[in-house]
Amino acid sequence: MTAVKVLKPPPASAGTTRRVLAGIRLTWLHLRTRRVPAGILALAACGGVLRAALYWHWTFAGLYARQQQIPLIIEAGAAAVIAVTAHSPFGETEQATGRWLPYLRLFAAVGMCGLAIALLQLGAAGESLNEGVLVLARNIIGITGIGLLCSLVTGGLLAWTLPMGYMAFCQYALFQAWTAPWTWPVRRPADRGAWICACAVFAAGLLLFTIVGPRTRLSDDS
Amino acid sequence: MSVMSVPLPRSARALWLEVKRNAVPYVLPLLAAVFYFDTLRTADGFPPVWTLRASVIPNHMLIEFSAFAGGLAAWAGSREGRRKTLDLVATMPRAAWARLGAALAGALCWLLLAFLAGVAVLYVQTALQATWGGPPLWPVLAGAAGVTVVTVIGFTCGVFFPGRFTAPLVAIGVLVPLQVGFREAVNVNVTASSGTTYALLSPISVPPPVETGVYYHVPPDVPIVQVMFMVGIAVALFGVLSLAPGLRQLASAGGRPLRVAAVTLVACGVAASWTAFALAGTARPDAVGGWQIPALHSAASDQPVPVTPDCTSGSAFQVCVHPAFSFYLDDVAAALDPVAAEIAGLPGAPAGAREVASMSGGQSVWSGISGNPPVFDFAAEHVGTTVGMFDGINSTMYIDSGIIPDAAAWREGFQQGLLDSFLIGPSQHSGFVPLDAAQQAVEDALLIAAGSQPQNPISQMGEKAFPETVAAVSAAARRFAALPASARHAWLAAHLAALRAGAITLAQLP
Amino acid sequence: MNVDIRDTRRSFGKNKAVAGVDLQLGTGVFGLLGPNGAGKTSLLRMLATVLPPTSGEIWLLDRDPRRPAARREIRRRLGYLPQNLGYYPSFTVVEFVEYFALLKEMPSSAVPKAVAEAVERVDLGAKAKARLRTLSGGMLRRVGIAQAIVNDPHLLLLDEPTAGLDPEQRVQFRALLRVLGESATVIVSTHLVEDVGAACSEVALMFAGRIVFRGTPEELTARGGGHGVGDTPLERGYSAVLSAARS
Repeated sequence: MTAVKVLKPPPASAGTTRRVLAGIRLTWLHLRTRRVPAGILALAACGGVLRAALYWHWTFAGLYARQQQIPLIIEAGAAAVIAVTAHSPFGETEQATGRWLPYLRLFAAVGMCGLAIALLQLGAAGESLNEGVLVLARNIIGITGIGLLCSLVTGGLLAWTLPMGYMAFCQYALFQAWTAPWTWPVRRPADRGAWICACAVFAAGLLLFTIVGPRTRLSDDS
Repeated sequence: MSVMSVPLPRSARALWLEVKRNAVPYVLPLLAAVFYFDTLRTADGFPPVWTLRASVIPNHMLIEFSAFAGGLAAWAGSREGRRKTLDLVATMPRAAWARLGAALAGALCWLLLAFLAGVAVLYVQTALQATWGGPPLWPVLAGAAGVTVVTVIGFTCGVFFPGRFTAPLVAIGVLVPLQVGFREAVNVNVTASSGTTYALLSPISVPPPVETGVYYHVPPDVPIVQVMFMVGIAVALFGVLSLAPGLRQLASAGGRPLRVAAVTLVACGVAASWTAFALAGTARPDAVGGWQIPALHSAASDQPVPVTPDCTSGSAFQVCVHPAFSFYLDDVAAALDPVAAEIAGLPGAPAGAREVASMSGGQSVWSGISGNPPVFDFAAEHVGTTVGMFDGINSTMYIDSGIIPDAAAWREGFQQGLLDSFLIGPSQHSGFVPLDAAQQAVEDALLIAAGSQPQNPISQMGEKAFPETVAAVSAAARRFAALPASARHAWLAAHLAALRAGAITLAQLP
Repeated sequence: MNVDIRDTRRSFGKNKAVAGVDLQLGTGVFGLLGPNGAGKTSLLRMLATVLPPTSGEIWLLDRDPRRPAARREIRRRLGYLPQNLGYYPSFTVVEFVEYFALLKEMPSSAVPKAVAEAVERVDLGAKAKARLRTLSGGMLRRVGIAQAIVNDPHLLLLDEPTAGLDPEQRVQFRALLRVLGESATVIVSTHLVEDVGAACSEVALMFAGRIVFRGTPEELTARGGGHGVGDTPLERGYSAVLSAARS
């Protein structure tokens, strides 16, 4: 094996700075393994579709239920994209490492959630989004929680299935004007029960996902 | 004896492997739950009329299945990319379209099987409740074509973009156009606010009027173009799949004959869809509230369906309905009987009631009393001023107005329709004619005498209603209702003509 | 002559992966050695008809793989085991091998017997019905070998076939190679020189896209006398040839 010229490493920085830089580097690499940059593009595409839907009036006029139909589909799609970023291509190899993995998972999930809300709201900026950003945020938060919970069972790559099922179910609940708080997409923005429910599902999903991580058996390398 | 030992053709063996190892069965429980809560419960809220119940197949089942079919098909299509077997399968002599076709067929088999199982459940439930007719097949074909095209779209996206985000993006990518198509179809069918009829290509629309397919056949023109459109897209995409290896630049896409076949498939698919699109643009309303496409239309479907009305209510006031609505014959008879008894023997009082089609010759047919002896005609779709008699909470009208119909309101709708026609005068099949104050008071009194509570006099009186008039009407109605039945009957016998002519005032009512 | 390559080249942009290779091979087991990046995998992929050459001629089994009909015939008689074998976790061993037997357009009636034989030959009979996700890395490699030999190929291309196999299995695999080499052209690309020494009748050494040595394992061993670095004579011959090529 021949010796290859090694690039001269940069000068070592002070302790704290080095740790911070290493942390940033680790976080960035972690996000890349989860295809977060592509995921952000996918979320931006969801925002674009939302903008198109509002600009060209794809939604029905009139009742809340009708106006919420298409935005709910897009919000569920954004939540499904977040859920799919849960997948790890390394499987057990990654789990047999140090203590940082749960924090990285937590950061990635919360960060993607925030970005999804921001990108979709950006898409709706200047247009009349049904009930505004509060309902959008609540839907994304809650359905993301469902997706994260699903990833514990199906693995990251199939974690979109339960959010889609929940969305399809909520389309029916919209028209039946259900009042159960666990059908939070149907409820108005000021509805406390719906907020509690959505946040509780998100918290449960986030907690379990952070601690346990997605199932690796059914997933494939990607 | 295992499958391995059974001598099956190569394609069948490959298909069997794909069916055995597909991911769709894992999602079926979730799909079944959504099917129950959405499709089945919605259908159960509809009256047991076949065409109405069957409308949930494209309007609800297709949405549910599309939410999963696209994503699962993308998952199946991306398998070679995800599992990194592209190099290995590229060395295989079997053509890409055959290999990918087997994988696509595996997913499609499961999805269509689940779809047909759902249809079977729906139709069995309806068969146990319906009183006439049989299961329509065109909604099933349109729904199956919709599931097929969504599956092919998802699979094709998965083949070309085998990334982790393909499945969820495809899932929403098919749902949004479906909903947009639904909205446009509503614009064409309900609000008539669209200048073109291309939106008829959308398999998803509002539920049809309750008597669709009952008095007249439903022409298959629109379902034909819908199926043609969707199948055309599916065929074209399958042709594109055949060129996948060449497009991926992994290897050439097979020999020239294969490439020619693939291009031919694409061309045929595009031609079929384009033809369907053009045909949809020529659609025009038919005489019974539906749509016909001249190039596909058969005059035989314009003929009324021969049927013997069901008059077996056994009530004193004979009521006849179409056998498709036999399930409500006794209820209608029970509603009309006491009111008919109040006016029996008076000039123009009907001897019976019969249900007629709500559309004929392109015109709406309104309730009214006609014939000799006089008979009260009513339609299943509307009675008097009340429209959508059978629509539950799913009705657009009820959702938008916030009204939730109940049994008492339903019953009173029939009674009011009969009395409206009686008080206005015979042969008034002219739609809504507002009553004056005295006529309204008499109607309310007769309703009270028949055991009902008058609901909303303002809507009956139209612009003649004022608060003081409403109060006066209510008072006069209570006064008139308090009279003995014989006195009421005698007064009506003496003053009916004047009452109909609008010459009676509230003060003149006893 | 099952393999006839004349001045074949393959470039990826500016990188010349294969920089002019001439090779004519009949039946037998042929070893392909070389350091990382020498062009072995690219050469093998060209022989597997997956990668077209940038220039030069390739004839496989007396056919021109540029023609679709001929390429299809070649692939019916080809067995290929790539370096990174993908697999379908939910498939069983038998299903996986059967799947590729069907893709190779074997007669349907012959598939079950051929699959069973292939699975037995790689000593996975006891695991025939096991799902692939439950197998170890070495077993997965043997599944890959099984799918490569299921159609009794006339041209067998194996890229790192013994990766993950234990010593006993490697011995069995070498015996299998010798049997296969009696009626087919087997090309084995590997880093393990002892595999080449034990199973191959001829060996070539690639470096920087070219063949820098071709001969018998004994001749390669002889090149290492007093010059090479390594624990075995074959390794010393290998390193001696490489050193000469680098200089």
